[in-house]
Amino acid sequence: MPPAADLALSVRNLSAVFDDDGGEVRAVRDVSFDLRRSERLGIVGESGAGKSALALSILGLLEPPGRVTGGEVVLAGRDISKLSDRQLSAIRGREISIVLQDPATALDPVKTVGAQIVEALAAHQPDLSRAAARTRAVELLREVEIPHAERRVGDYPHEYSGGMRQRAAIAIAIANDPAVLIADEPTTALDVTTQAQVLALLDRLVEEHRTAVVLITHNLGVVSEFCDSVAVMYAGRFVESSPVDHVFLAPTHPYSEALLKCVPDPERLADGPLPAIAGLPPDLAHLPGGCSFAARCPVGRELALCHEQAPILHRVSGPAGEARVECHFAEQRIAEVRT
Amino acid sequence: MSESPASTPILQAEGLSKAFRVSDGERLARRRSITVLDDISLAVRRSETFGVVGESGCGKSTLARCLLALLEPSAGRVMFDGVDLARIEREGLRALRRRMQLVFQDAFASLDPRMSAGAIVEEPLLVHQVGDREQRAQAALEMLASVGLTAEQAARRPHAFSGGQRQRIAIARAFVLRPELVILDEPTSALDVSIQAQVLNLLRGLQRELGLTYVFVSHDLTVAEYFCDRVAVLYLGQVMELADRTALFHDPLHPYSVTLLSSVPVPRAGGRARRAARRRPIGEVGSVAERPPGCPFEPRCPVGRGRAVCQGERPALSSAKEGHLVACHFPGELER
Repeated sequence: MPPAADLALSVRNLSAVFDDDGGEVRAVRDVSFDLRRSERLGIVGESGAGKSALALSILGLLEPPGRVTGGEVVLAGRDISKLSDRQLSAIRGREISIVLQDPATALDPVKTVGAQIVEALAAHQPDLSRAAARTRAVELLREVEIPHAERRVGDYPHEYSGGMRQRAAIAIAIANDPAVLIADEPTTALDVTTQAQVLALLDRLVEEHRTAVVLITHNLGVVSEFCDSVAVMYAGRFVESSPVDHVFLAPTHPYSEALLKCVPDPERLADGPLPAIAGLPPDLAHLPGGCSFAARCPVGRELALCHEQAPILHRVSGPAGEARVECHFAEQRIAEVRT
Repeated sequence: MSESPASTPILQAEGLSKAFRVSDGERLARRRSITVLDDISLAVRRSETFGVVGESGCGKSTLARCLLALLEPSAGRVMFDGVDLARIEREGLRALRRRMQLVFQDAFASLDPRMSAGAIVEEPLLVHQVGDREQRAQAALEMLASVGLTAEQAARRPHAFSGGQRQRIAIARAFVLRPELVILDEPTSALDVSIQAQVLNLLRGLQRELGLTYVFVSHDLTVAEYFCDRVAVLYLGQVMELADRTALFHDPLHPYSVTLLSSVPVPRAGGRARRAARRRPIGEVGSVAERPPGCPFEPRCPVGRGRAVCQGERPALSSAKEGHLVACHFPGELER
């Protein structure tokens, strides 16, 4: 565990469900992780793995039919998971912020970008004068590299390009210098050149403000090039968490390996069809016993152990440091990689 | 020298331009014309996969629709199997449509929610009056089987399927008429990587089996490199570069292609150092509404920015090497 002073966020045994006709859909199942100042954690997984539900649960933003069923979210030494909405709104935006895939959800179309940044500043810094807030808004837009910031501060969101809107949404999220920024697919809707700019912006945020960033994405390339650590999420759980390079050099959970292999690689063109993952993720309302990946797993598909017994967390030592893996065969698999 | 039919490109665009009239803000009376495609020439060879890549607003989807005669060009022409689409009568066009099909990114929006998967796949056969009722139903079931869906699933409606399965239904519908050419417009963009892998494998298999030609429109350069034989790079409605897969991805000549390719994050170890070593793209993706007079990439170009020739003169798409076309005054100057 990192020293307490360096700890930005600690999530302990967090669980969340969606109430559905068919029962409780267990979207987030007992997730725990620590995040240090300046750390960049990537959370990867496919649609339905629970990535966004986890982000919203951390921020207390999960709306019915979703609800948090247990666990703690410790921010700056305080458990925020039991706070009221009112108490939370004093924390959200100031100590922890979120940026979503679609900046339209963060930006109000009928207010200028500048007015929205000023609003965000005023919400947490009531003593700031209007003039000072206005000056700060321009500075923030400059910081997120909006060209001609002093002029464009008066523009409406629709007058910005998609990449500029996402950067403006980031400006709002970081206006009060939060210790933690959760970015949920922030570059998914952007073109690659614009994506490169947004990642460079997040780099500076980490380097200059020691912000801890949780980057939720399905893009393994973005994880490799931005993050220092990574969690692979499957069926509501972190099935593998490790230093980022571990997952590319020695993916230990069979799901991590399978996910990595189905990314098209032009250099493996001659190897025939892409190794797709057979089958579908389990129904989270009726989870099978045992390992949630067992039915699709090249290692455990036929094994009674995997179908009957849920794997405990194994700590293995890999090429990039320690990895935590929920697989019965974690030690065996890492040994195979080493030899 | 007269060409043999086999070497005639199956699909060809010559000086293709497409402009749209748009109203300027609130003042509806003040309309202006925006050129989305600007003088595009390309030829798609039989049985190849021809990729069209570029960022949003580059005109990829408009090009796809012009190539299928779903949109009428403002200038230039499109030829399918040597025949100018603009000169074909309505009935002839209907017959031609059998030979060329389109698969969209958003399968769900393109599938009628009230129809069963079987009926959806059967519909094109009905429209083109192929076979009798029994034969059509049989052909639809066979087509669904070849995309991996069972007869039992054929009775279900679109909402009962996953995203990947819906895309399979859309593919089955496009392929049931045994077209010669299929335009795939971002067919896997909405899918998870594991599902994308299944759909790409399926498309490859069908191409091999049926000897099809594909035009593959994508913003995903990794997928394009994996899937295409030749690729055209579009920027603001113009072809910047057109080359074989290997030449384009390993030895790109246009600074825009270089910028684009080096912005793609790669899922391999050592990513942080790799990204730090890269040049960052300059400025914002441009807009066709404000296309610069010279090279459209000039304002963002590490090589040509501010150079008089790049600002003043639009470079023509010309051959730099065998089979490698590039529209740049300084091709090859920017290295990857």
